[in-house]
Amino acid sequence: MSLELVVSDIVAGLFLGASFALIAVGYSMVYGILRLINFAHGDFYMVAAFISYTILGAVTVGTKVDWGNVVWVGVVTMLAGGVLAVAVAKLVYSPMRRAATLSLMIAALGVSQILENGVLNIPSWGSNYLPFPVTPPSAGFTVATVHYTWTQVGIIGIAVVLMGGAYWIVNHTMVGTAMRAVAQDRTAAMLMGIKTDRIISIVFFIGGGLAGAAAIMMSLYYGEINYLMGFSIGLQAFTAAVLGGIGNVAGAALGGLLLGVLESVGTGIFGAQWALLFAFGALVLTLWLRPRGLLGERVGQRV
Amino acid sequence: MSGSMVHRSLAVVGALSAALVVGCCSATTVASAAASSAASSGTYLVGVSEPITGAEAPSGTEIYDGEVLAVDKINAAGGVLGHKIVLKEEDDACEPQTSVNAANKLVSLGVQAMVGGYCSSAAEPAEPIYTRAGIPNIQVAANATTLVTHGYKNVFLLDPTGGLQAHEASAFFTQILKLKNVFIADDESTYAVNVANLTKKDLAGTSTKTFAIEAIPSTDQDFSSVIDTLRSDGADAVYWTGYFAQAAEFVRQLRTAGLKIPFVTADGSVTPTYIKDAGADATGTYSTIAVLSSFLTGSAAQTFDSSYKSKFHATPGPYSAYGYDGIYALVDAAKSAGSLTPSKVIAALHRLKFKGLTGTVSFAANGARVGAHFIVLEVVKGKYELAPHQPPTS
Repeated sequence: MSLELVVSDIVAGLFLGASFALIAVGYSMVYGILRLINFAHGDFYMVAAFISYTILGAVTVGTKVDWGNVVWVGVVTMLAGGVLAVAVAKLVYSPMRRAATLSLMIAALGVSQILENGVLNIPSWGSNYLPFPVTPPSAGFTVATVHYTWTQVGIIGIAVVLMGGAYWIVNHTMVGTAMRAVAQDRTAAMLMGIKTDRIISIVFFIGGGLAGAAAIMMSLYYGEINYLMGFSIGLQAFTAAVLGGIGNVAGAALGGLLLGVLESVGTGIFGAQWALLFAFGALVLTLWLRPRGLLGERVGQRV
Repeated sequence: MSGSMVHRSLAVVGALSAALVVGCCSATTVASAAASSAASSGTYLVGVSEPITGAEAPSGTEIYDGEVLAVDKINAAGGVLGHKIVLKEEDDACEPQTSVNAANKLVSLGVQAMVGGYCSSAAEPAEPIYTRAGIPNIQVAANATTLVTHGYKNVFLLDPTGGLQAHEASAFFTQILKLKNVFIADDESTYAVNVANLTKKDLAGTSTKTFAIEAIPSTDQDFSSVIDTLRSDGADAVYWTGYFAQAAEFVRQLRTAGLKIPFVTADGSVTPTYIKDAGADATGTYSTIAVLSSFLTGSAAQTFDSSYKSKFHATPGPYSAYGYDGIYALVDAAKSAGSLTPSKVIAALHRLKFKGLTGTVSFAANGARVGAHFIVLEVVKGKYELAPHQPPTS
């Protein structure tokens, strides 16, 4: 295994990890504030991908990329992801506020099934692998025989900016302070005059929006979408959140990138059939040495 | 769709025939087959178990139509040994459970043979039912190796299993593309792993070298590190034996990474969806597959094609010709046995050898097809066409 191969695998892993990270941040923020492992989160990503597919398909002529269209459809997709997440929170999780955590988690699994089978039954969506309406150009640059496209660079750049934005909101704004207060003690936060329901909605909105951003970017890159696409990536994003320290934005981002690199390097060294074993082996080892995850803090400080 | 135990999910290369017959689902009554089958005089009742509902329904209908064409022709010429053939169709929905119900129903109706089947996963659990009934079980398009490993003496597969495909693939790599290093990858499904292993075995001892087979979980969407590996190994072609969704992602990422090496898939990736999803990157990629109805040559094939079109107002489906050959296999066997008695027909099927639309039709001792034609397809302008250079037929 040459050094060159390791380097190109790490770069490939960062790219893969960027999508894990964007989804992991939403997972992590929701966990931080509600202690809910929102298994439907991966399906927000999936539904957002179908929404972007439909809108982009309607406005695209030919297969040439119109970046103006991609940008505004991207924004609409993020909003749609956010609205979907808030709707699920209001309709399903909010009435269950006093239910046990386990009940909430089962409800989340139920929402996941409803979204997947709902998409399956929508006539123009269905169970097929659908080709994404636009294909990004392959223009880019070459480093040591490996070709990277500008689209890939753009995707990583946008992911970093969005995650930075989420981090900034949580740690440097009034709303973020309110989020951390609700996470620490919801009753006390309410007594201080914080509108906890609204704060929870904002957290869901940000999480859903980030999943929406990941959805359009990854669909653009991989070129096809399917109603089951959220399951596997959701599981990996959840893992990334735990690896980084669940409830913590920076941890989720770091965990996502790290998991991507581990899978990629694992594939390079051992072959694709061993990649998940390698990555999850590393996860178990990390949690064994550091049960709170890499950047996990004491429970009271989460969000 | 689970990846194991597969079938051809694919390949509606022609137009889809729209006439779906919705099968009813009466409760299964397992009556003694032998008792009722003796009753029918003057007719030869043949069961057809096919998906006629669900996602695979178009393929089932196309195979059935191919069979109907053969039956019409045979009956017009006086039938088989003085008996008119009557087809009895049942829906297996490409599901194991439904397939078992269909088999029980057909057997209880007293069919004297079964000619049908598209999905291996549906065909397999129904095998013992036809075996207990003692009737020939001619599988038209199901082709998992496991179908012929249970030791049943009445099972015959018209669609060749992975071994012949591997042979075709290795001949294509060594004799047509003349390449040194082939990178083989599968999706961990039974069928894909089988083809991958057999191809590697077939390439051993030739001038073409293979690397370790890469097994890529079917949930993976990202191939970048696999591509890094094959680049650093110095691969000059890829053989993908898995399914179409990943094939499209794989080839797109391969081209995005700047690798223009030949990309060859096995039959699991042959479907218009692959071409749509891979977009421009599908152009120039190859696929190995048992000959499909639309690529048959010769006068018999032309007659088949035109009579199919005039009767059903549709292009034959990829496996319609296999349905046609399936009926002829049964009838030729019955004629050479001089009897419609199922046990004698089974014995004659083992000795059968005739020239069908899809190549020579004969069966190995375990019932696997021998003598089928394989072809290499190339994607040209968004369509499958016969690749200009075909490996010599073995």
